[in-house]
Amino acid sequence: MVQGILVVNTETIPGMMITETLGVVSGSTVRAKNLGRDITQGLRNIMGGELVKYTELLEESRQEAIGRMVAEAMSRGATAIVNVRFATSAVTAGAAELFAYGTAVKAE
Amino acid sequence: MADPPIVILVLSVCMLPFLLLAIFGILWSIAYPAMLIYAVLFSGQKLNEQIEDTTSREISLRESLGRDPLTTVDGGYRTNITDCGVVWAGVVFGPSHWHLLIGKINNLIGGSIDIFQKVVAAGRAEAMQRLRENAVANGWDDVINVRIDTSDMAPQGSQSTVKAVEVFAYGTGVKYG
Repeated sequence: MVQGILVVNTETIPGMMITETLGVVSGSTVRAKNLGRDITQGLRNIMGGELVKYTELLEESRQEAIGRMVAEAMSRGATAIVNVRFATSAVTAGAAELFAYGTAVKAE
Repeated sequence: MADPPIVILVLSVCMLPFLLLAIFGILWSIAYPAMLIYAVLFSGQKLNEQIEDTTSREISLRESLGRDPLTTVDGGYRTNITDCGVVWAGVVFGPSHWHLLIGKINNLIGGSIDIFQKVVAAGRAEAMQRLRENAVANGWDDVINVRIDTSDMAPQGSQSTVKAVEVFAYGTGVKYG
Protein backbone atom coordinates (compact mmCIF):
# COMPACT_ATOMS: atom_id res chain seq x y z
CA MET A 1 0.00 0.00 0.00
CA VAL A 2 3.02 2.29 0.54
CA GLN A 3 5.41 2.73 -2.36
CA GLY A 4 9.17 3.23 -2.27
CA ILE A 5 10.06 2.61 1.37
CA LEU A 6 9.43 0.13 4.17
CA VAL A 7 6.83 1.45 6.63
CA VAL A 8 5.87 -0.48 9.77
CA ASN A 9 4.18 0.44 13.04
CA THR A 10 6.29 -1.93 15.14
CA GLU A 11 9.38 -0.75 17.01
CA THR A 12 11.69 -3.07 15.09
CA ILE A 13 11.68 -4.42 11.57
CA PRO A 14 11.39 -8.22 11.56
CA GLY A 15 14.50 -9.74 9.99
CA MET A 16 16.43 -6.45 9.73
CA MET A 17 18.87 -4.51 11.89
CA ILE A 18 18.41 -0.78 12.48
CA THR A 19 21.82 0.86 12.16
CA GLU A 20 20.98 4.56 12.49
CA THR A 21 17.98 6.73 13.42
CA LEU A 22 17.39 9.91 11.44
CA GLY A 23 14.77 11.61 13.63
CA VAL A 24 11.03 12.02 13.54
CA VAL A 25 9.35 12.44 10.17
CA SER A 26 5.75 13.50 9.78
CA GLY A 27 3.18 14.34 7.14
CA SER A 28 -0.19 15.99 7.53
CA THR A 29 -3.06 17.17 5.41
CA VAL A 30 -6.33 19.02 5.99
CA ARG A 31 -9.13 18.22 3.60
CA ALA A 32 -12.83 18.94 3.19
CA LYS A 33 -15.50 17.75 0.82
CA ASN A 34 -17.58 20.25 -1.15
CA LEU A 35 -20.91 21.60 0.10
CA GLY A 36 -22.92 19.25 -2.12
CA ARG A 37 -21.29 16.20 -0.56
CA ASP A 38 -21.84 17.66 2.92
CA ILE A 39 -25.55 17.99 2.16
CA THR A 40 -25.92 14.44 0.77
CA GLN A 41 -23.96 13.00 3.70
CA GLY A 42 -26.14 15.03 6.08
CA LEU A 43 -29.23 13.45 4.50
CA ARG A 44 -27.66 9.99 4.71
CA ASN A 45 -26.86 10.65 8.37
CA ILE A 46 -30.60 10.88 9.17
CA MET A 47 -30.85 7.16 8.44
CA GLY A 48 -27.58 6.37 10.25
CA GLY A 49 -24.92 3.90 9.24
CA GLU A 50 -21.77 4.38 7.21
CA LEU A 51 -21.06 7.67 5.45
CA VAL A 52 -19.28 6.31 2.38
CA LYS A 53 -18.07 9.63 0.92
CA TYR A 54 -16.49 10.69 4.22
CA THR A 55 -14.78 7.30 4.45
CA GLU A 56 -13.35 7.87 0.96
CA LEU A 57 -12.33 11.42 1.87
CA LEU A 58 -10.36 10.23 4.90
CA GLU A 59 -8.79 7.37 2.92
CA GLU A 60 -7.53 9.78 0.21
CA SER A 61 -6.27 12.27 2.81
CA ARG A 62 -4.46 9.55 4.72
CA GLN A 63 -2.73 8.39 1.53
CA GLU A 64 -1.57 11.97 1.00
CA ALA A 65 -0.32 12.35 4.61
CA ILE A 66 1.60 9.08 4.39
CA GLY A 67 3.00 10.13 1.01
CA ARG A 68 4.36 13.36 2.53
CA MET A 69 5.86 11.47 5.48
CA VAL A 70 7.54 9.01 3.08
CA ALA A 71 8.87 11.88 0.93
CA GLU A 72 10.42 13.54 3.99
CA ALA A 73 12.03 10.25 5.08
CA MET A 74 13.44 9.62 1.60
CA SER A 75 14.88 13.15 1.43
CA ARG A 76 16.82 12.29 4.62
CA GLY A 77 18.15 9.13 3.03
CA ALA A 78 16.17 6.70 5.19
CA THR A 79 15.42 3.16 4.08
CA ALA A 80 12.52 2.56 6.46
CA ILE A 81 10.09 4.26 8.84
CA VAL A 82 9.35 2.46 12.11
CA ASN A 83 6.79 2.98 14.89
CA VAL A 84 4.34 4.88 12.71
CA ARG A 85 1.37 6.47 14.50
CA PHE A 86 -1.73 8.09 13.07
CA ALA A 87 -3.79 10.91 14.57
CA THR A 88 -7.01 12.49 13.34
CA SER A 89 -8.58 15.73 14.42
CA ALA A 90 -11.61 17.58 13.11
CA VAL A 91 -10.69 21.24 12.62
CA THR A 92 -14.26 22.28 11.84
CA ALA A 93 -17.28 20.27 10.80
CA GLY A 94 -16.52 18.49 7.53
CA ALA A 95 -12.79 19.31 7.48
CA ALA A 96 -10.43 16.78 8.98
CA GLU A 97 -6.73 16.91 9.70
CA LEU A 98 -4.90 13.63 9.16
CA PHE A 99 -1.48 13.33 10.69
CA ALA A 100 1.01 10.49 10.31
CA TYR A 101 4.37 10.38 12.09
CA GLY A 102 7.15 7.93 12.70
CA THR A 103 10.90 7.50 13.09
CA ALA A 104 13.04 7.44 9.96
CA VAL A 105 15.79 4.84 10.20
CA LYS A 106 18.52 3.22 8.17
CA ALA A 107 18.09 -0.54 8.23
CA GLU A 108 19.81 -3.40 6.52
CA MET B 1 -42.24 53.25 -21.10
CA ALA B 2 -39.41 50.75 -20.84
CA ASP B 3 -38.60 51.60 -17.18
CA PRO B 4 -41.02 49.41 -15.21
CA PRO B 5 -39.96 46.11 -16.92
CA ILE B 6 -36.26 46.83 -16.19
CA VAL B 7 -37.00 47.60 -12.52
CA ILE B 8 -38.98 44.40 -12.22
CA LEU B 9 -36.18 42.45 -13.93
CA VAL B 10 -33.49 43.81 -11.58
CA LEU B 11 -35.68 43.20 -8.54
CA SER B 12 -36.49 39.66 -9.56
CA VAL B 13 -32.80 38.88 -10.20
CA CYS B 14 -31.95 40.25 -6.74
CA MET B 15 -34.73 38.24 -5.12
CA LEU B 16 -33.89 34.97 -6.87
CA PRO B 17 -31.44 33.64 -4.24
CA PHE B 18 -33.90 34.38 -1.44
CA LEU B 19 -36.70 32.73 -3.44
CA LEU B 20 -34.57 29.59 -3.91
CA LEU B 21 -33.73 29.60 -0.20
CA ALA B 22 -37.44 29.90 0.67
CA ILE B 23 -38.33 27.01 -1.66
CA PHE B 24 -35.55 24.91 -0.14
CA GLY B 25 -36.79 25.76 3.36
CA ILE B 26 -40.38 24.81 2.55
CA LEU B 27 -39.25 21.53 0.93
CA TRP B 28 -37.01 20.78 3.91
CA SER B 29 -39.81 21.40 6.44
CA ILE B 30 -41.97 18.87 4.57
CA ALA B 31 -39.27 16.34 3.71
CA TYR B 32 -37.44 16.20 7.05
CA PRO B 33 -40.37 14.85 9.15
CA ALA B 34 -41.01 12.24 6.44
CA MET B 35 -37.35 11.16 6.50
CA LEU B 36 -37.37 11.13 10.31
CA ILE B 37 -40.44 8.84 10.31
CA TYR B 38 -38.66 6.59 7.81
CA ALA B 39 -35.60 6.56 10.10
CA VAL B 40 -37.78 5.76 13.14
CA LEU B 41 -39.28 2.78 11.33
CA PHE B 42 -36.23 1.34 9.56
CA SER B 43 -32.94 2.61 11.08
CA GLY B 44 -32.90 -0.06 13.82
CA GLN B 45 -33.40 -2.74 11.20
CA LYS B 46 -30.65 -1.23 9.04
CA LEU B 47 -28.21 -1.24 11.98
CA ASN B 48 -29.02 -4.88 12.77
CA GLU B 49 -28.49 -5.86 9.12
CA GLN B 50 -25.13 -4.04 9.14
CA ILE B 51 -24.03 -5.90 12.29
CA GLU B 52 -25.17 -9.24 10.83
CA ASP B 53 -23.32 -8.56 7.56
CA THR B 54 -20.06 -7.70 9.37
CA THR B 55 -20.34 -10.76 11.64
CA SER B 56 -21.02 -13.17 8.78
CA ARG B 57 -18.04 -11.80 6.77
CA GLU B 58 -15.83 -12.10 9.83
CA ILE B 59 -16.91 -15.70 10.50
CA SER B 60 -16.43 -16.77 6.86
CA LEU B 61 -12.95 -15.16 6.71
CA ARG B 62 -11.96 -16.77 10.00
CA GLU B 63 -13.13 -20.18 8.76
CA SER B 64 -11.24 -19.86 5.46
CA LEU B 65 -7.99 -18.86 7.28
CA GLY B 66 -8.44 -21.09 10.30
CA ARG B 67 -7.50 -18.23 12.67
CA ASP B 68 -7.95 -14.52 13.33
CA PRO B 69 -5.16 -12.68 11.46
CA LEU B 70 -5.17 -9.67 13.83
CA THR B 71 -3.03 -9.48 16.98
CA THR B 72 -2.17 -6.51 19.18
CA VAL B 73 1.17 -8.00 20.27
CA ASP B 74 4.44 -6.86 18.71
CA GLY B 75 4.99 -10.19 16.99
CA GLY B 76 8.28 -11.00 18.68
CA TYR B 77 7.33 -14.65 19.09
CA ARG B 78 7.64 -15.44 15.38
CA THR B 79 11.12 -15.28 13.85
CA ASN B 80 10.46 -16.49 10.31
CA ILE B 81 9.05 -13.19 9.00
CA THR B 82 10.25 -12.42 5.46
CA ASP B 83 8.33 -9.26 4.50
CA CYS B 84 6.31 -6.55 6.25
CA GLY B 85 4.47 -3.29 5.66
CA VAL B 86 1.85 -1.05 7.18
CA VAL B 87 -1.83 -1.76 6.47
CA TRP B 88 -4.87 0.26 7.51
CA ALA B 89 -8.64 0.59 7.18
CA GLY B 90 -11.06 3.30 8.26
CA VAL B 91 -14.79 3.74 8.39
CA VAL B 92 -16.98 6.75 9.18
CA PHE B 93 -20.05 5.57 11.05
CA GLY B 94 -22.92 7.53 12.57
CA PRO B 95 -26.12 6.95 14.51
CA SER B 96 -29.42 7.82 12.84
CA HIS B 97 -31.37 10.83 14.06
CA TRP B 98 -33.82 8.46 15.74
CA HIS B 99 -30.95 6.84 17.65
CA LEU B 100 -29.66 10.31 18.59
CA LEU B 101 -33.10 11.12 20.02
CA ILE B 102 -33.17 7.88 22.04
CA GLY B 103 -29.65 8.66 23.25
CA LYS B 104 -30.65 12.19 24.35
CA ILE B 105 -33.65 10.89 26.31
CA ASN B 106 -31.49 8.14 27.82
CA ASN B 107 -28.92 10.80 28.76
CA LEU B 108 -31.52 12.55 30.96
CA ILE B 109 -32.06 9.37 32.96
CA GLY B 110 -28.37 8.54 33.03
CA GLY B 111 -26.76 5.14 33.19
CA SER B 112 -25.40 3.26 30.21
CA ILE B 113 -26.51 4.54 26.81
CA ASP B 114 -26.82 1.19 25.08
CA ILE B 115 -27.85 2.55 21.68
CA PHE B 116 -24.64 4.58 21.17
CA GLN B 117 -22.58 1.66 22.40
CA LYS B 118 -24.23 -0.54 19.78
CA VAL B 119 -23.63 1.98 16.96
CA VAL B 120 -19.95 2.55 17.78
CA ALA B 121 -19.35 -1.17 18.31
CA ALA B 122 -20.88 -1.86 14.87
CA GLY B 123 -18.56 0.72 13.28
CA ARG B 124 -15.53 -0.68 15.06
CA ALA B 125 -16.33 -4.26 14.04
CA GLU B 126 -16.69 -3.07 10.43
CA ALA B 127 -13.31 -1.26 10.53
CA MET B 128 -11.56 -4.33 11.95
CA GLN B 129 -13.18 -6.58 9.35
CA ARG B 130 -11.98 -4.22 6.59
CA LEU B 131 -8.48 -4.35 8.05
CA ARG B 132 -8.58 -8.16 7.82
CA GLU B 133 -9.87 -7.99 4.23
CA ASN B 134 -7.23 -5.38 3.27
CA ALA B 135 -4.50 -7.56 4.75
CA VAL B 136 -5.69 -10.64 2.87
CA ALA B 137 -6.05 -8.63 -0.37
CA ASN B 138 -2.46 -7.33 0.00
CA GLY B 139 -1.11 -10.84 0.54
CA TRP B 140 -0.18 -10.59 4.23
CA ASP B 141 -0.44 -13.69 6.43
CA ASP B 142 -0.98 -11.84 9.72
CA VAL B 143 -1.37 -8.30 11.05
CA ILE B 144 0.66 -7.59 14.18
CA ASN B 145 0.68 -4.60 16.53
CA VAL B 146 -2.91 -3.60 15.69
CA ARG B 147 -4.05 -0.23 17.04
CA ILE B 148 -7.57 1.19 16.89
CA ASP B 149 -8.31 4.93 16.98
CA THR B 150 -11.71 6.55 17.29
CA SER B 151 -12.14 10.22 16.47
CA ASP B 152 -15.17 12.47 16.43
CA MET B 153 -16.20 13.91 13.04
CA ALA B 154 -18.44 16.47 14.79
CA PRO B 155 -16.38 18.11 17.56
CA GLN B 156 -18.15 19.70 20.53
CA GLY B 157 -19.35 23.20 19.88
CA SER B 158 -19.07 23.12 16.09
CA GLN B 159 -22.07 23.81 13.91
CA SER B 160 -22.27 20.40 12.37
CA THR B 161 -25.03 18.69 10.43
CA VAL B 162 -23.28 15.32 10.57
CA LYS B 163 -22.95 13.32 13.77
CA ALA B 164 -20.47 10.52 13.22
CA VAL B 165 -17.28 8.94 14.50
CA GLU B 166 -14.36 7.71 12.46
CA VAL B 167 -12.95 4.37 13.51
CA PHE B 168 -9.47 3.78 12.14
CA ALA B 169 -7.61 0.48 12.55
CA TYR B 170 -3.98 -0.04 11.51
CA GLY B 171 -1.20 -2.52 11.99
CA THR B 172 1.83 -4.12 10.38
CA GLY B 173 1.14 -6.83 7.85
CA VAL B 174 3.69 -9.66 7.91
CA LYS B 175 4.48 -12.56 5.61
CA TYR B 176 5.88 -15.80 7.02
CA GLY B 177 8.61 -17.60 5.11
